[in-house]
Amino acid sequence: MSELLIKNAYVIDPLQGIHGDIMDISIRDGRIVDKVSGSCEVIDAAGNLTLPGGIDSHTHVCGTKVNFGRYMSPEDMRAGRTPRRGAMYPTSGYTVPTTYGNSYRYSKMGYTTLLEGAMAPMEARHTHEEFAATPMQDMLANTLFDGNWSLFEAVGDKDIRQAAAVIGWTLAAVKGFGIKLTNPGGTEAWGFGEDLASIDEEVPNWDITPREIIDTTIRACELLHLPHSVHLHCNNLGMPGNYRTTLETLDIPGDMNPDRQTLYLTHVQFHSYGGNTWGDIKSEAEKISDSINNKPQVVIDMGQVMFGRTMTMTADGPMEFRLYTLHHNKWSNHDVELETGSGIIPVYYSRKSSVNSIMWAIGLELALLVKNPWQCMLTTDNPNGAPFVKYPEIIGLLMSNKYRSKELSQVHKLTTDRTSLGSIDRELSFEEIAVMTRAGQAKALGIINQGKGHFREDALADIAIYPVKPDQTDPSLQYEEVIGAFQQTLYTLKDGVVVSRDGEVITGVANRTFWSKANLPEDMDVLKSPRFVEKFSRFYSVDLENYLVQDEYVQRGVAMNTGVNS
Amino acid sequence: MQVTLTMKPRAKPFLPIEAEMINPMNFIGSQNLFVWEGNKKRRLEDIFTVRKEGNVNSPENIVVVLRGDTSRVKRVGEYMSSGTIIVEGDIGMHCGNFMRGGFIEIQGNADGWLGREMRGGSILCHGNAGDYCGSGYRGEKRGMRGGKIEVAGNAGDYLGEYLTGGEIHVHGNAGMFAGAEMRGGCLIIDGDARIPAANMAKGTCIIHGEIHEMLPTFEKIGEKDGMLVYHGDVANKGKGELIVKSKIT
Amino acid sequence: MFHIEDKVRHIVCPYCGCLCDDILVELTDGRISGVENACTLGAHKFLDDADNRLKGPIMRKGDQWVDISYEEAIAYAVQTLSEADRPLLYGWSGCVTETQAIGAHLAELIGGVVDSTTSVCHGPSILAIQEVGHPGCTLGQVKNRADTIIYWGSNPIEAHPRHLSRYTNYADAYFLHNAFRERKVIVFDVRKTATSEIASEFVQLEQGGDYHVLSALRAIVRGREDVVPDMVAGVPKSQLIRVAEMCKKAKFGALFFGVGVTMTGGKYKNIRNAIEFVDELNRHTKWTISPMRGHSNVYGSNEVFTWITGYPYAVDYARGIAFYNPGETTAVDILARKEADAALIMASDPGAHFPRTCCEHLAKIPTILFDPYPSATTHLCTVQIPCAVNGIDAAGTAYRMDGIPIRTRKFLETGYPTDTSLMHEIYEQIRERKEHV
Ligand code: SF4
Repeated sequence: MSELLIKNAYVIDPLQGIHGDIMDISIRDGRIVDKVSGSCEVIDAAGNLTLPGGIDSHTHVCGTKVNFGRYMSPEDMRAGRTPRRGAMYPTSGYTVPTTYGNSYRYSKMGYTTLLEGAMAPMEARHTHEEFAATPMQDMLANTLFDGNWSLFEAVGDKDIRQAAAVIGWTLAAVKGFGIKLTNPGGTEAWGFGEDLASIDEEVPNWDITPREIIDTTIRACELLHLPHSVHLHCNNLGMPGNYRTTLETLDIPGDMNPDRQTLYLTHVQFHSYGGNTWGDIKSEAEKISDSINNKPQVVIDMGQVMFGRTMTMTADGPMEFRLYTLHHNKWSNHDVELETGSGIIPVYYSRKSSVNSIMWAIGLELALLVKNPWQCMLTTDNPNGAPFVKYPEIIGLLMSNKYRSKELSQVHKLTTDRTSLGSIDRELSFEEIAVMTRAGQAKALGIINQGKGHFREDALADIAIYPVKPDQTDPSLQYEEVIGAFQQTLYTLKDGVVVSRDGEVITGVANRTFWSKANLPEDMDVLKSPRFVEKFSRFYSVDLENYLVQDEYVQRGVAMNTGVNS
Repeated sequence: MQVTLTMKPRAKPFLPIEAEMINPMNFIGSQNLFVWEGNKKRRLEDIFTVRKEGNVNSPENIVVVLRGDTSRVKRVGEYMSSGTIIVEGDIGMHCGNFMRGGFIEIQGNADGWLGREMRGGSILCHGNAGDYCGSGYRGEKRGMRGGKIEVAGNAGDYLGEYLTGGEIHVHGNAGMFAGAEMRGGCLIIDGDARIPAANMAKGTCIIHGEIHEMLPTFEKIGEKDGMLVYHGDVANKGKGELIVKSKIT
Repeated sequence: MFHIEDKVRHIVCPYCGCLCDDILVELTDGRISGVENACTLGAHKFLDDADNRLKGPIMRKGDQWVDISYEEAIAYAVQTLSEADRPLLYGWSGCVTETQAIGAHLAELIGGVVDSTTSVCHGPSILAIQEVGHPGCTLGQVKNRADTIIYWGSNPIEAHPRHLSRYTNYADAYFLHNAFRERKVIVFDVRKTATSEIASEFVQLEQGGDYHVLSALRAIVRGREDVVPDMVAGVPKSQLIRVAEMCKKAKFGALFFGVGVTMTGGKYKNIRNAIEFVDELNRHTKWTISPMRGHSNVYGSNEVFTWITGYPYAVDYARGIAFYNPGETTAVDILARKEADAALIMASDPGAHFPRTCCEHLAKIPTILFDPYPSATTHLCTVQIPCAVNGIDAAGTAYRMDGIPIRTRKFLETGYPTDTSLMHEIYEQIRERKEHV
């Protein structure tokens, strides 16, 4: 039995309605308890901000495409090299660091849980191998279904039960967590070099539309009672005028789940563009946030862009090709048979560019115009908008109008006319930031009951203590202190163990992988469907028996049981 | 001030030595300097006999002389911004990486990556230069960006790859793919070259000797001072200039 | 006499980058007695396995080999590697990723260089990809969609025998009615090969002319055939124009290239040009390009080294941080310059593939070879340690040439230790030793 007491913590725990009380936190065997014995080890938080461990609900840190971003970029690798220090292995890379680089840097910022945004089922083993080498965080893998042929057949048949059967089987087969749709239908069209321009355009060779894919998948997800909702990267990412597609998509789902949203839209910044060309692009963040403010069933994340060098990587193959024709930098593409696609190109977001400056402003507008912080998560779609190490700066921008105005004065001058950022004076509170970086994620992902995102009794003791005293700090003026505080915790605890302190990782731990195990009735067993099985023998290039991800890859897996109501 | 570094005999003479601290600036004052021999960190004095003569004032008045078999000593003059380095024999790889100013003279041959990603200053090599002279780093889009490299002998393959600014002048022959991916600057080869200027985007490449295996994707524009002027690389929508002696083999 | 017979299915063939996973193995009395679905190359490796294995570790004493125990062999490796000033850890392509990962960490622990056989096969492809990226796809994508296939400098019929039947020409395709008849195969090579015999178009080019032909094709696709001369590296312009048209008309094209392009003059520039040719074609229709990786899990070594060190091969940890520069940190270069003072060779055969100067140096320094079978490298090494064979009596992760991770299957119990467990033991012992110093 190991015990630990954190004293004098300035606790914000939005899920429990604790709004900044000085209190003690007791930990036994990695979990929050009511009380510990008097003789245990004590950490004095000295009135510093103490939050549940950070959760990133949309990041790209592990798997085939992330690793290809590393593989093709020795110039990026040399930018962030550190040698072995204590328990830390050496690291390399800045925009796409090595797995240990990601893991240590997130840990030092207080993050203990990460959701990898895009795992192709067929390449799941790769993601899981990298999860094992990302030791400081518990991991979840959103699984790509945007071009899944078996799902398409169910959509074509308007058979929600069959769609649920395919999704349930696949998640369990590849140890995936939730459903990710990336440019639904578009990645399949890209198989022959095409894309779709609207959610009502038919997917070539398939009698279905993105709207139908989205709608059926949402219904199947709810039928399965998956912890997380459908996680959607809308069609038309990055196209001027794409806000119309986004608004249409927002109208698809009703409110189907009392515990969480019914649809999670990711990196909405990239989907809130007005105008018709790169020349007249402007923000439509107001229209998008109006729609979200009227739809409690929707949660978004920002996908904030920050200036500097980064790497874009997404399952959205056609989008990356369009980007390549603009930038002419290196371009990688990787289609995955019967399932999805992907693309990677490096980019440089410049303050001198009107387009990049407008993108920067739109992300902030969204976070400030969406009224309810539980509906807007703080992300950069790491590393697409910026590497996650920029999160503290984004927090500074959201908490301080002064800092924002200062930055706005230094970006391309068209930004003031083409966005509303200059006219917004809202400043977010520490509590709102806590919602947007952990509590909101725990709720949106449906992992509150796994002990994530709060300090209720029996919760996992994942804790971040930041060197800032909220009751003595005015973030509006002291934004630099706030940014510094979020860059490096005093202590990060995972499962009750101090894993990093003052920016140094001091011990290695073993992480978990959460995955969804759908328990399905016999009539939903896809392996009894000849059409499903035939796909493996005729069109996949691996045997069904070798497709299944073995238990070796989730040695510390936590199966989240779900299923249909019988 | 003159600093003379003379190589001591070594138990394993083939081990590479990484010595980016051999940079005139670092010899002001008397801090301990370290180099790496294989995977071991050594004091500069373990590897070299160090003799200092004269008074220290500013780095531009410092001359560092390397003596003995320095062919395995890498990264000499990296990030150097002023002063002089004279290598009496051969020098190892990456000499003058990221150099911004000052002067390096190599009396023997230079190994690969001489003046990689150089920004300014000048390098004079009396012997031959290895592969990737004046080039960039793996995956990087820019090679040498400024300054001048002069090679009296021959240069290896991939001379001036991704050359972006500054001038490289090779008096002898170049290996294959000289000036590949050039995006600026000027590359002059007095001798022969094989497959030069491949995929060039911008800049000027002048070859006075024979060209072997000229690429089929350069467009003849005209003649200038008895030389033929080509534009290309057309495969790449390139706007570079390749100027060659009239006879092409 | 009574025989115990058994059939095991869905076995993964660990002998080439195709990583066929549909092999059926027949066992009689615990020995492999039959193999179905594999090509002759793969089948032979399975069938001949048992007779070729070294019984246990051996050490050179003078000009004799003596048997030693696994403990002694490990102790020798631990001492040699932890004392070296420039240890080289080379090979890895026959190992599972679990072993490769330990190798990457070991290199860091001892300040060594870790490199895989990549550096003598598709290293140039990686250099090219690092310059311009890689538009690729999984092999099933080609199988289901491709109507036009180019093999450039590769002869799959001999090197990757089932590539054509599983993934390209003879494979079933979802989007083609009569796949075999509708598909066009174009072969570029300097000589006639078994694969060029089945091609619908054979482009025979001069040795070392790949770069020129690719540049000309790019210019033609870009509408600048006016600058292209009548003959390019032995190929008539008219043929190039015809081929460029075929490529543009494809609905889905797939270009596969082999060591015939990566290892001839120009090396990575050839690959870069091929990639940029494919980039250009993507402005017209869909094209992908893929290297024909040779050794079963060579791609796995690139993947693992990348997520651990940041670089796919040739990683130098001499100074505790990862440094990468092929041409400098590659095994062949380090040996040719006589830098290495100790070497660990993992399941590969530099003795058969490296230049002579490199082999001579390997013979001079302490060299520890992990290989189940005697090989040309046996003659160079000081100690050889046989271990279980990945895919027969050991299991683990391997990455197919297109990046698909597959778990190989263990179907025999032989008693040999796995290279994963041996490497783990070496790593732990060295780590403890370092902590005590
Ligand atoms: S093609 Fe390669 S992997 Fe397939 S059976 Fe033959 S040797 Fe084995």
